[in-house]
Amino acid sequence: MTEITEQNEVSEKFVPKPSLPPPPNTTGAIGWLRYNLFDGFLSSCLTVLSLIAIGFICVNFYEWAFTKAVLEAANRQECRITPTEFGTCWAGVKFWFTRFIYGRYTDTEIWRVNSAAIILILWMIPVWLPRVTAKLNIALSGVLIFPFLAGYMFLGGDRNWFMEIMVSVAVGCFITVIIHSLLCLFTGAGISKWIIQLTGFANRSERLHKFPVIVFAVIIFLLSLFLINDVAFKEMPNNLWGGLFLTLVISGIGIASALPAGILLALGRRSKMTVIRVLCVAFIELFRSVPLITILFMATTMFPLFLPEGFHINKLASAIVAVCLFAAAYMAEVVRGGLQAIPKGQYEAAEAVGLTYWQSMGFIVMPQALKYMIPNIVSNFMGLFKDTTLVSIIGLYDLLGMINAVSQDPSWIGLHHEPLFTAAVIFFIGCFAMSKYSQYLERNLGAGHGR
Amino acid sequence: MNTKTETESNQLQSVASDEVAISMSKVNKWFGSFHVLKDIDLSVYKGERIVICGPSGSGKSTLIRCINRLEEHQDGDISVNGVTLDSNLKNIHAIRSDVGMVFQSFNLFPHLTVVENCTLAPVWVRNMTKTEAQEIAMEYLTRVKIPEQAEKYPGQLSGGQQQRVAIARSLCMNPQIMLFDEPTSALDPEMISEVLDVMIELAETGMTMLVVSHEMGFARRVADRVIFMDYGEIVEQNTPEEFFANPKSDRTKLFLSQILSH
Repeated sequence: MTEITEQNEVSEKFVPKPSLPPPPNTTGAIGWLRYNLFDGFLSSCLTVLSLIAIGFICVNFYEWAFTKAVLEAANRQECRITPTEFGTCWAGVKFWFTRFIYGRYTDTEIWRVNSAAIILILWMIPVWLPRVTAKLNIALSGVLIFPFLAGYMFLGGDRNWFMEIMVSVAVGCFITVIIHSLLCLFTGAGISKWIIQLTGFANRSERLHKFPVIVFAVIIFLLSLFLINDVAFKEMPNNLWGGLFLTLVISGIGIASALPAGILLALGRRSKMTVIRVLCVAFIELFRSVPLITILFMATTMFPLFLPEGFHINKLASAIVAVCLFAAAYMAEVVRGGLQAIPKGQYEAAEAVGLTYWQSMGFIVMPQALKYMIPNIVSNFMGLFKDTTLVSIIGLYDLLGMINAVSQDPSWIGLHHEPLFTAAVIFFIGCFAMSKYSQYLERNLGAGHGR
Repeated sequence: MNTKTETESNQLQSVASDEVAISMSKVNKWFGSFHVLKDIDLSVYKGERIVICGPSGSGKSTLIRCINRLEEHQDGDISVNGVTLDSNLKNIHAIRSDVGMVFQSFNLFPHLTVVENCTLAPVWVRNMTKTEAQEIAMEYLTRVKIPEQAEKYPGQLSGGQQQRVAIARSLCMNPQIMLFDEPTSALDPEMISEVLDVMIELAETGMTMLVVSHEMGFARRVADRVIFMDYGEIVEQNTPEEFFANPKSDRTKLFLSQILSH
């Protein structure tokens, strides 16, 4: 001990050397170029070759898309730029564009599709507004209840008692969500708080607070029932549905159902109960091992053979069911992967405080696991969105089906490239948006956990 | 339970009653073909504080994890507060909500804030309202001396703080029995004492405690009984004075000489 202090007294004073600037040409734009593009002879050659290739592609694309573009034409023949050569016939795309989006949906009824889309957007926007409370309820109602309203708006016709109830519930929910969001935005308190305040339940026990809210819900429901009483839409059978609209319906239902179904299947696969586990494994393995197109054919052509005489199943409905089952099987494995990333201690801690199985899954395991799963889930959604184009093979006119229909139209016969390019752009926009949103979600959910 | 006559100056007075809190008889458990618990007979009295020690793999963690059915015993009987543990889920949930557990690796819920960690189970298992649960949570967080961290996430706390939150989380359920599975083994040395302090304060309130630990100072000060386990058996159990001064079995002597030699 004494030795050390003595040494310290005679030791020299340490002065750090001054920091020097880095060698020139290693930082900034020039440094980046040198390091990434021109790092040696081979690298420089490859860079130059790549630049030439990219330039060549760009010039050709520009020429195809813009220089040779024919924007106004009544049919394919008018798209010639010289007697022997066709130009790039954007006029055809323009002529068909409404059909790409809505299929053969009657022009006068297209507003129904648009308003359903607007309702969905209005319904979901509050989920992204920071001031709005009860986001989970809004999102869940959007996923579970909106489809009934949308289904009726798309299909029209008579409502049976079930649809009557579900459409009123959906309208009621929509009204509530809008009022709630506006209240949250402008007063900072949600609708249930307002109801409790206004009915004077605020100073009563918290356990009684649900009653005025329930009464309000019933009133809203009856009001909606009354509101929709006189509303009747012309029937639009679903063989008229098509284009991007149909693609979104199929993939939307697939996406919305895949996650919950996948979660249930994944939990079933990890269950201790043998029968449930075997059933889930069998389902997952069966549907994962068969191509989607096979499942679609089975659903639309073979399945009806097993049905009793005179019993019809709608082609679109069976295609949607097939897509949902297929997506659920894939999602189940994604979810299982996420579940395995959760340490055993989390399950044990949840059990040890007395939570039931479903509570510990819902509050502890799933919220954490879903965060890990986001990239894979979104990949699956993108895959599903693009896979729905396969329904064009079983005779549904989805976006790809409509694109193919163009080339068979006598006036536009042979017009393939431009519509296909349009479809590619539409799919790219959809998928890229999903991808970007998933990155945003990951960043947002990761914040604050400091794990 | 014989009451102790001699007590060290800083040693806690025993508050153990004659009422049995946990009774285990002829409990056996296997992991595959590995016989991890062999004919365990143990009675824990209300208010009693027991420290269980033993080499790793001796079955001490498994023993206390059987009490709240994190592990299932295959043979013998365990009853907690008079409720027999069997595959009846209702009994299991009842026992779990009355038995708190603190883990070696804290096992806080990383996606919830500290106070949410504490209120989750009271709200969903005890059916408390959110405000009630929050008040209780703040009370216990104050008792473990970290009320100011209530809105943080577990990942933002030090190990010692996390373990104290874990203790508060268990206490929020107002348990009658607390199980501690090596609560200080994953902590940095300077954080061990802050957790042990909280545990000593808890012991002072008369809580029934089973602690798997190698903190012999803690055992000396707090325990009514020290249990030494090896090869899935209870080798020796005694009051801490007797246990440390006159270990009977040679295995205990060897173990004590190894852990006390440093």
